[in-house]
Amino acid sequence: MSRHGNLVGNSLAGVALCVAAGICAPQAAFSHAALMTAESAQAIRLQAQYDTGAPMAHAQVIIYAPDTPSDVWGRGITDRDGRFDFIPDDIAGRWSVQVRQAGHGVMAHVDISAGAPVIMATSPQDTWLQRAVMIALVAWGALGTALFALRKKGRPDASA
Amino acid sequence: MHLPDGIVPVEFALAGYAASGVLTAFALSRVNRQPDPRAAIPRAAMLTTVFFAASLVAIPVPPVSVHLMLSGLMGVMLGWFAMPAIMVGLFLQAVLFGHGGVTTLGLNGLILGLPALLAYGFWCAAGRRWPDTAALVAGSGAVALALAIFTAIVLSGLPVALDAGTETVAIKAFLLAHLPLVLAEGVVVVALLRVLRRVEPGLVPHG
Repeated sequence: MSRHGNLVGNSLAGVALCVAAGICAPQAAFSHAALMTAESAQAIRLQAQYDTGAPMAHAQVIIYAPDTPSDVWGRGITDRDGRFDFIPDDIAGRWSVQVRQAGHGVMAHVDISAGAPVIMATSPQDTWLQRAVMIALVAWGALGTALFALRKKGRPDASA
Repeated sequence: MHLPDGIVPVEFALAGYAASGVLTAFALSRVNRQPDPRAAIPRAAMLTTVFFAASLVAIPVPPVSVHLMLSGLMGVMLGWFAMPAIMVGLFLQAVLFGHGGVTTLGLNGLILGLPALLAYGFWCAAGRRWPDTAALVAGSGAVALALAIFTAIVLSGLPVALDAGTETVAIKAFLLAHLPLVLAEGVVVVALLRVLRRVEPGLVPHG
């Protein structure tokens, strides 16, 4: 199990301990023993960021389970680095996680099956070279449109 | 400041398409009434490229960064042609850069197109008498209006699952971060029109 899994397992254990302590506290006088079980679980860690590279810090997270996609399964807030961890229930299928903040947002899907979960995040960011090529292509198209309109305006082209 | 897919309810997206479709058709009919409708096409084509590429120009406003919109500039320079030009630019931004959603294209057209047309109207009314002031108001006012429309759409379409209080705080921070952009775009329009007046007065749009 990964380090995250151990951490989650430890925190689960902590929660179990607290619950157990809460239940047992009033009965401590009767010398009942406290029991604790712990297990490791597989958590999903997501990171949300804007396309400028800035993290979506403290953004709201809404999780939908595959069996009831119209109902909210869980909510949360990303940390300052835009990260969010959750442990899905043992429900196979496609889990959807939406992160949104101030009218901006992103949706990611996690396929959970018998094997390891497959996380389908949004496509990686374009490089500057890709963007430059796109801008150049659009500029080329615009130039063509402009020259076409100018030609139609009554200036005969060379082939005429 | 483009609404992505999956943020607003489906009805909103459909209504956005309908509204921006009507607005674009109206703008095109006004273009058609001009003596030579083709005359503005070269300028519109080139400014569409500028508008398209401007969304990649990020202005750092710590701790976030905002990107240029150029809605007011499009309105002042293109008049009625601004609306179809903005729709084409937004479509290209959505499919090539992923800026804004395809389902929300109509809403984004309203968010940026409506302020552009109003900036044009203001420029027509006051541009001859007070060119600098009119340019500043057109450039800055368009951003402020776009922010207002964006905020209104987001707030009225908040899903129940979302905590409205947290989202409102996030939107306030978002608006605060855009204040420098309001000023910057006004300055951009003033500077461009000043250069045009000095270098090539024939290119200055007239109301």
